[in-house]
Formats: sequence, C-alpha cells, structure tokens
Amino acid sequence: MKREITLTINGSNERMTIDDADTLLEVLRDQLKLWSVRESCGVGACGSCTVLMDGHPVSSCFLLAARSAGRAITTLEGLSEGRRLHFIQEAFVEERALQCAYCTPGFVLSAKALLDENPHASDEEIREYLAGNLCRCAGYADILRAVRSAQEKRASAPARS
Amino acid sequence: MTIRSFDLLQPRSLQEAVEFLHKHGDEARALAGGTTLVIMMKQRALHYPYLVDLQSIQGLDGIKNEADGIRIGALATHRKVETWPEIRRAFPCLAQAFGYIGNVRVRQTATVGGNLAHADYRLDPPPPLLVLGAEVSTLGPQGSRTIALKDFFSGMYETALGPSELIVDVKVPFTRSNSQAVYLRYSTLSANDWPCLGVAAYLAKNENGRCTDLRVALGGLAARPLLIDGLTFTKDQILDRDVIDRLLDLADQQISPFSDLRGTEWYKRRMARLFVKQALEQLSRSESVK
Repeated sequence: MKREITLTINGSNERMTIDDADTLLEVLRDQLKLWSVRESCGVGACGSCTVLMDGHPVSSCFLLAARSAGRAITTLEGLSEGRRLHFIQEAFVEERALQCAYCTPGFVLSAKALLDENPHASDEEIREYLAGNLCRCAGYADILRAVRSAQEKRASAPARS
Repeated sequence: MTIRSFDLLQPRSLQEAVEFLHKHGDEARALAGGTTLVIMMKQRALHYPYLVDLQSIQGLDGIKNEADGIRIGALATHRKVETWPEIRRAFPCLAQAFGYIGNVRVRQTATVGGNLAHADYRLDPPPPLLVLGAEVSTLGPQGSRTIALKDFFSGMYETALGPSELIVDVKVPFTRSNSQAVYLRYSTLSANDWPCLGVAAYLAKNENGRCTDLRVALGGLAARPLLIDGLTFTKDQILDRDVIDRLLDLADQQISPFSDLRGTEWYKRRMARLFVKQALEQLSRSESVK
C-alpha cells in the first residue's frame, strides 16, 4: 500500500509518498539521496546502515519507513554544520580511523550515541558498544583511539554533543 | 524494492490487532520489532499480504513493578530490559541474557514478545526466564489467558499461542531473599552470534545453606529450551560433588541435542555437562547474594 508520511530527518520534516514495504534505508538513499547510509549485510549485523532514531542507533536496512514517522532520524549528514565537521568526525580524521571508509558513517553515529549515553565509557564499554559495527579494513585499534579522542574533545567542551 | 508489497495495518488497540489477525487468517502476521520478520520477508523466505503493526498500539512497551514481580510489556525492547535498573537489581542474569543478543542496534529494535513468539531454539532469554518461573499473558479471539513459560515452547519455532493470539506481557515473579540465579552462554563462533548453548540455574537455600529449590534450564541444544525435571531430590541437600554429579546425569538423560553449525551432538552434550556444572558451582560457592 502507498501512503503519505512525514519523516523528521536531520531536524527537518520531509513529506513523501512511500510504499509500506519500503525500508528506511531505501527511502533515505533513493528519495532523499543521503548517501552516507549504506547497505552491506542487509540483516542488521554489520552496522553500515546505522542511523540514530530518537538518539539511539538502529539498522535502517530492516526498519520499515512507514513505522519511522514521528521519530527523529539522524544520519551522518545531520552531524556536521555546513562544512564544519562534527568533533567525532574530526577525531576519526585525526586518528586516521578509516581506510576505505565504507563503515565510517555507522561507526561515527554509533560513537555519538555511545558518548551521549555514557560520556565516560571505558575501553571495554566502547568495544562492547561498537562490537556490532564491522570494519573489514580492520581499523579497530585506530577507531578505538578515535572514540577516546572524541571523548576527550567532548569532555573539554561540555556544550558539545 | 526488495520486500514484496504488503499492507501495513495499524490497529489502535490489542483487541483490534486480534480482530485484524483473525479476519485475515494465514495472510496476516503480527509485527513487533521486526528484526526477524522483516529480514525474512526481505530475503523472500516469507511473505504475508498483511502485517499487523503492534507498535501502533500505545502502552505495550512498559516495564512495571508489581507487589510480587516485574511485568514486562510485549513490545519492550531488549535494550530496555537490559538497561532497566529494577531488572538489573532483581534479575541480573535476565538483564545479562538480553544484553547478549546480536548488537546494540538489534537490541534497540527487537522486543521481548517477539523474541518469545519467534521461539528460535538459540535465543538467550528463555533459559533464565524458565528458571525464574516466568509466565506469559496473552490475548486472542477466545479472550485472555496466562501460560507458564515452561508450557509455552512446543517445538522448533512453535509455541502454545493459538491462531491470532498475541503476547501481552511477561511476568517475572520476585525470587526468595536467600536465592540466586545465573545464566552462562557459550559461543563457538563470534561473540555476537547465537550461542552454541545457554545454561540458566536458580538456587534457593535455607538458613543452614541447604537447598530448598533448584532449577536448571538449557537452550540452544534442541528444538526448544528445556527445564530439567525431577530435581526435588536436591531438597535439603548441600550442593556437593555427589549431588551435582547426580544432577548432571539426570540432565544428560533429559537433553537431546542435535548438531548444527555451532557444535555437533557429541560436542553439545559434553559442553552441556560442563556448563551446567559451572553454573551449579557458581551458585553453591556464592553466599546467596541477592
């Protein structure tokens, strides 16, 4: 069935026509051209389609867009302000926590949710929280360092989130 | 579009959801978190012309403290159970079991009711819920009823739920003050994978440190999770080596593991013995912290 819905994406309301069978990922990419949201495993295991829903990380590849109406969706595009990178993105660049970067949007969003939820997360808690984001270039040590660095940036400027 | 077209029906009440399911029969399926159903429809392993969206019903995701236990709404997410302070305090092994599933995104989406209704044999929550004596409340075309969890799982992906019958909530009764429960899970592939097996055990002791109630449940081995029978012989006993050995033999007779990707029948039988033993040793060593 086709339906009209309003999705709140990166703070702005988008009115659109979708099919009940559309996933959130399909709508974000095909209709809104938000290319940071990527499909890889398609079953919620790899984290490359991660978006934040009301601040919590979810896999957009198996969420129905029709059920996302009324929730606040954040994609990577919603973190930076214009050309100014978000401090977690900065940390990933500074620590060279990316190689092919296919997984990076998912890691950055998961890291944001983690730091919002638990600003003083230990290494163990960071590892545990990010365990569901896979990086096949195997940049895990650099990614952990980037999240720790983002944690420090956040702590030194508490207004940041 | 990867999923074949269907109609998403959005009821406003449980009653209406049951009516939708009843009306469309085999053409409709209840949709909770969707972590399994949507993926299976994406993979075209399943198709239903109608999905009944339980998220459109208000108030199904609550967790409430009652005088004699905690009631968990069917639509409460795994993450909510895992992080809920009162559940972490009263049933730490249950919070832990929900926290083992998949990854944080899956737990943010998957629901308690969906987990039980799906009845996959490898899921973590059933063993601890079985030893804690949980019961499931349901609503169906014939009205509401309560099913003890030990009578709930009937086979591979099969439950006692009738056609168009929905889980409303799961009640976990508070345990006695001098008691403790543990859940041990053993993964043979990656940590985020389903377990090779999961073992839950519950022990209540009297003031002399003797057992008054012992329960053991195993998941991941066979078509359905199993609560071990015939443990009354442990009453008034100290959990020493003899009692534990007798219990291990009894459990060994009752389990019927099958081979899968995560272990052969032979291996699972050996591991079941090892992990039940570890669970019991943990419980008998502890000073009944609670």
